[in-house]
Amino acid sequence: METRIRPNLMLFGCSIILLLYGFTRSAASLPPIDSLFGVSPEDASYYKGLSSASAIKCKDGSKKFNKSQFNDDFCDCPDGTDEPGTSACPNGKFYCKNAGHAPVVLYSSRVNDGICDCCDGSDEYDGKTICPNTCWEAGKVAREKLKKKIATYQEGVTIRRQEIEKAKLSISKEEAELQKLKEEEKILNGLVEKLKERKEQIEKAEEHERLQKEKEEKERKEAQATKDDDTKAEDTEPTPKDIHDDIGLVDQPPQDSAEDNHGSSSEPELGDHSIEDERSNDVAGEQDGSIQNTKHLGEDSTSHGKDGLDSGNQVRFKDPNDSDSLSNMFVSYRYDSSSSQRHESDDELDFSDITGTSSSSWLDKIQQRVKSIFQAVNIFQKPVNVSEAAQVRKEYDESSSKLSKIQSRISHLKQKLKEDFGPEKEFYSFYGKCFESKQNKYVYKVCPFKQATQEEGYSTTRLGSWEKFEESYRVMQFMNGDKCWNGPDRSLKVRLRCGLKNELTDVDEPSRCEYLAFLATPALCVEDKLKELQEKLESLNKDQPKGIHDEL
Amino acid sequence: MGRHLYTFLLLLLFTNSVFSWKKDEFRNCNQTPFCKHARTRKPGSCSLIASDVSISDGDLVAKLIAKQSSQDVSEDQQRPTKPLVLTISAYQDGVMRMKIDEDQSLSPRKKRFEVPDVIEPGFLNKKLWLQRLKEDKDENGPISVVYLSEGYEAVIRHDPFEVFVRESGENGKKVLSLNSHGLFDFEQLREKEDGEEWEENFRSHTDKRPYGSQSISFDVSFYEADFVYGIPEHATSLALKPTRGPGIEFSEPYRLFNLDVFEYVHDSPFGLYGSIPFMISHGKSRGSSGFFWLNAAEMQIDVLGTGWNDENSSVLMLPSDQKRVDTLWMSEAGVVDAFFFVGPGPKDVVRQYISVTGAPAMPQLFATAYHQCRWNYRDEEDVFNVDAKFDEHDIPYDVLWLDIEHTDGKKYFTWDRMLFPNPEEMQKKLAGKGRRMVTIVDPHIKRDDSYYIHKEASEKGYYVRDSTGKDFDGWCWPGSSSYLDMLNPEIRSWWAEKFSYENYVGSSPSLYIWNDMNEPSVFNGPEVTMPRDALHYGDAEHRELHNAYGYYFHMATANGLVKRSDGKDRPFVLSRAFFPGSQRYGAVWTGDNTADWDQLRVSVPMLLTLGLTGISFSGADVGGFFGNPDTELLVRWYQLGAYYPFFRAHAHHDTKRREPWLFGERNTEIIKESIRVRYMLLPYYYTLFREANVSSIPVIRPLWMEFPSDEKTFSNDEAFMVGNSILVQGIFTERAKHVDVYLPGDQLWYDMKTGAAYKGGVTHKLEALEESIPSFQRAGTIIPRKDRTRRSSIQMENDPYTLVIALNSSKAAEGELYVDDGKSFEFQQGAYIHLRFTFSNGKLTSTNIASATAGSRKFASRCIIERIIVVGLSPDPKTALVEPGNHKADIERGPLLLRGGPAPSSVLTIRKPNVNIADDWTIAIL
Repeated sequence: METRIRPNLMLFGCSIILLLYGFTRSAASLPPIDSLFGVSPEDASYYKGLSSASAIKCKDGSKKFNKSQFNDDFCDCPDGTDEPGTSACPNGKFYCKNAGHAPVVLYSSRVNDGICDCCDGSDEYDGKTICPNTCWEAGKVAREKLKKKIATYQEGVTIRRQEIEKAKLSISKEEAELQKLKEEEKILNGLVEKLKERKEQIEKAEEHERLQKEKEEKERKEAQATKDDDTKAEDTEPTPKDIHDDIGLVDQPPQDSAEDNHGSSSEPELGDHSIEDERSNDVAGEQDGSIQNTKHLGEDSTSHGKDGLDSGNQVRFKDPNDSDSLSNMFVSYRYDSSSSQRHESDDELDFSDITGTSSSSWLDKIQQRVKSIFQAVNIFQKPVNVSEAAQVRKEYDESSSKLSKIQSRISHLKQKLKEDFGPEKEFYSFYGKCFESKQNKYVYKVCPFKQATQEEGYSTTRLGSWEKFEESYRVMQFMNGDKCWNGPDRSLKVRLRCGLKNELTDVDEPSRCEYLAFLATPALCVEDKLKELQEKLESLNKDQPKGIHDEL
Repeated sequence: MGRHLYTFLLLLLFTNSVFSWKKDEFRNCNQTPFCKHARTRKPGSCSLIASDVSISDGDLVAKLIAKQSSQDVSEDQQRPTKPLVLTISAYQDGVMRMKIDEDQSLSPRKKRFEVPDVIEPGFLNKKLWLQRLKEDKDENGPISVVYLSEGYEAVIRHDPFEVFVRESGENGKKVLSLNSHGLFDFEQLREKEDGEEWEENFRSHTDKRPYGSQSISFDVSFYEADFVYGIPEHATSLALKPTRGPGIEFSEPYRLFNLDVFEYVHDSPFGLYGSIPFMISHGKSRGSSGFFWLNAAEMQIDVLGTGWNDENSSVLMLPSDQKRVDTLWMSEAGVVDAFFFVGPGPKDVVRQYISVTGAPAMPQLFATAYHQCRWNYRDEEDVFNVDAKFDEHDIPYDVLWLDIEHTDGKKYFTWDRMLFPNPEEMQKKLAGKGRRMVTIVDPHIKRDDSYYIHKEASEKGYYVRDSTGKDFDGWCWPGSSSYLDMLNPEIRSWWAEKFSYENYVGSSPSLYIWNDMNEPSVFNGPEVTMPRDALHYGDAEHRELHNAYGYYFHMATANGLVKRSDGKDRPFVLSRAFFPGSQRYGAVWTGDNTADWDQLRVSVPMLLTLGLTGISFSGADVGGFFGNPDTELLVRWYQLGAYYPFFRAHAHHDTKRREPWLFGERNTEIIKESIRVRYMLLPYYYTLFREANVSSIPVIRPLWMEFPSDEKTFSNDEAFMVGNSILVQGIFTERAKHVDVYLPGDQLWYDMKTGAAYKGGVTHKLEALEESIPSFQRAGTIIPRKDRTRRSSIQMENDPYTLVIALNSSKAAEGELYVDDGKSFEFQQGAYIHLRFTFSNGKLTSTNIASATAGSRKFASRCIIERIIVVGLSPDPKTALVEPGNHKADIERGPLLLRGGPAPSSVLTIRKPNVNIADDWTIAIL
């Protein structure tokens, strides 16, 4: 409802106003003689039967009224049917045409209240207040505004569509990956079990050997003590040569190495096809495109704390073989961190060594190596071959670490795919992202699916953990933040609206510790709404009578 | 009402757990030496006798001296006493004033404090020049009698000394008496003796008490009284429960000591934010009488239950045929300056009290409408959003309030420019819709050298000083703060200047003021207030004027608003602290209440009590300040609050938002309807405010004020009268199915929503409706309404009126309508319309009753009456004849309300009589 403000307080008694305007009609001002003054076009047909002879019913059925009772500034129908053009009925509605601008339906309390509510001034007709017709200017401004909004929506709808496509692709890829990882997990699990068994056998043998040796040593010492012999020919240490041989055996690449040709590196640990592959799906030049992929570099730090690859952002820069793509990413990452959105990367890890379309090659290699170990080492039982034992241990350590990586990647993917990304997965790209807004001394940071915080210098206050989308995906709700002193737990609602970029604005605290923010995002640029806006514009243009601005 | 109920109520009082109220922070009677001392004295302890009784300068004067021949050495005689001087004066309209002070001719150590600037100057002109002293004798010995008023005499008994008012004649019945139980005690100022310890300690605070004990106490008896009322402010029942006597386990006396009590409890005699030492008695057989002690020091008052004195044989023979309520009044300092009001009706007593302390100010019309407040509307955007939401929901409101956070660092008269960059523009924007704003201005001044108020005040020596003579430095919202010495008239006028538009940067003519924390609240002071040994103007100690501090601050602020408009604009200032006379300066609210049902309930007796003691413009925070009301409580509070004289919703900083539209569509509608009811009744309320202004009768009244001989009303404090025409019954329980409503008198009452008729003199068990609380129009009355509700009251100015006539058994009714410009003082020069409507013999007549002597200014209005609703007319007339003009108006059935609801068949509407309210006219039903 739009209102133009009269500059002065209306502090005049009615008598004074009456004198000022030389008003001589009855104080109960009647509306202009217009058969359907204050009636909206949709409603006009209701009054068809109204004439001085015949009465029609109030809409609520409570009463009947005739033509002389229509707009006579006396309320007959409690619902206001008989007084669309006056303020007589408290529950009435007044329609102003506002030619040149959008029509408006007002509460009847606005009629002749001294405030110009309709841009055509039709709500103030008692002569006490003069309202100039401003519909043309106001309408122009409104249409311009609407046009701009439509333009935003048009572009936004496209971006949104692309995002959705991307999201769907990524999701199906991740689902496929998950499937594959699960299979790999199964195989690797088997291998690790075998290696473990073998390792334990070896350890048992070693233990046996050690005891044996101790026993022999003891006997030898005893013998020496009695014989006082100076020869030490019975030395049991294995020769260094043996070790080398064993290592050499294992180090040889497996015969079947066809898979290696696919990647840029023969070492599975160093391969990172996923980055290249997924990036190629991104819309060129789009800011979040490259960012979006970086999340695949991460995984949950808590499950991977020990393998040395987990120290946050650095992880992805460790691989010298991928320096090109990574430094690109570094640049874009840095660029993004200065904008209002950034990745929540501190808890994500590098999966580059186990993910990717060609990743099964490493599994094959491991299988090969394990196979060869078993072939190579089964010959000797006693005494334990030292190099063989080291080989088994190494293989076991590597495989089980790989297994735990796979497992944590699986759990990460499972968790991610469980999230509610919206009916069209339009919020998929929010995953792992944070949006920031600086207001006065505070930096607000909203990380969908995760949490929201308010930072002041080095102190961080949690505004809430991710709860869910609300109001048909128009609001993101964060709950159970840090408790307020003498108040509730903090919480945050983020209201979403259509915009071309993801942009967090207007963080507010309308009630103590209940925060409200706005996030502009293409995800909200829905086609239906666009159509609605276009229709509205059309009707505005249509209602605009010719020559209206000649009058003005 | 028997003792059992009292016992039960008191048990309830003390078994109720005290939630967050920090009881230990406040002194009880035992920790307060003067109170403990007075309470332990035995009846008959007073050994004073009146001597040298004579007439001097139109007054009765006497000396009070210790009785020489007394055999038993009472405690009072341990110290030698000088004679005291007693003066009794009579004033017009049944007011007796009695003063007792030390004899100034004997050069006492210090002049004891008398509270200045409270007594209405005009009152002193009403003094009767007493000429004749009649010496007489009754069964207790010699007495001296003077004329008081038609039918009443003032009497002083010589030995033992007693003062009383009686009906004229030798055996005239007693009305009020003082020292009938010999509890009078007056600790005179003296030099400290060797080894004496005068300091008092409470918690970590020391009161140096350089003048030692100086307390005063005495007993006051009210005759023919069933109950006593008044002495606010306490969160307790309307009829004051006894605090001592048989069957009463233990109770503190009613304490009068202005305090900032955090989360006060709903049933307690402990003192709250304001103090009015004025008590009214009422009884079926005679009516009412009143007693007022003008004293601003801490006071404690016991209401003594029947039989409290059974163990002691009375010194005096007290009339056994007269029902009586005895009370004990105790004060830490000051003098006896007491007023006896003879009544005999409740309205007479209130009028007599108001003749002493001044008439309630006539508020601006906007101030009587709905106020929206919250700690805090954060910034300009928040303000505009809330404002817009009211319009979006078509809910009227008149004033939006800004609490302390709007300031720059709690420096009043400043703005936080981050949040409020353009305060004047903001006010202007709201003013464009006829809406006002209110900002808070508290008495603590931030000790910040860059703050101009502090700079000036400290340079000029305008602060209250501590006992060592340095500017008192206490802790409040801004941190380290000092307090202006508002006792000093020079400082008050300096303060008033601060409200000029030039001085208060960012203020505009649509901005009004809220005085909070003026008890004064001092976070680190004893009992959260100022130390009693702090020093004021004229070296008065804070203990002597504590209860009046907030009053002087309120006065200075209100004067500031009058000044800024060159005396053209009526001020609006809301104050939390109050004292007798506060009614002259603005509205008062019941402070920081809590969002629970008991506090909703206690708001009724609290506001009724304020009204009885002169403060008719009062309200409680709708919704409850602390805590989050559940939706039902909030809705019920709106339904009741819409009838408070001062109708404001407010909420604590830590609570959830609770603007009317936040609780679902249905509740928004119900709240909206209750606010609209208030707007609809604004013409009636405004007329009542004028009645309070002219005749002192409060806007909302206890039922017994309108039905003084109906005993069933005497302790009813769940229902109240709005004026003489409307009875409102609150609903104070969750999910109530039924509500019992006692409708007094022998006439019918009409449900204001449905028009259904209910018999008087009966308790009706009614269905509790969700959408409204019970309200009834009394048969025989006429209520003026404006049925078109607008964005704010100002836009209703030109709207036509509706009259609702509820006929009594003789098919008659009457009512009034008062109209003026709603804002200026021109009404004082006669610029108003005051009509009396009378309906009898089928004819409605409007007569102008504006007093002919009112003045030369005229207020004209072209506003008409568009509709006359008649309830209780049995035949079915079709037309009415309007004179002058000789035009006919149609009559048809219903409805009583235009905003939906059933149209009752018993309600008739005269359509479009369209007579002007400024004219005399008649409308005859044909």
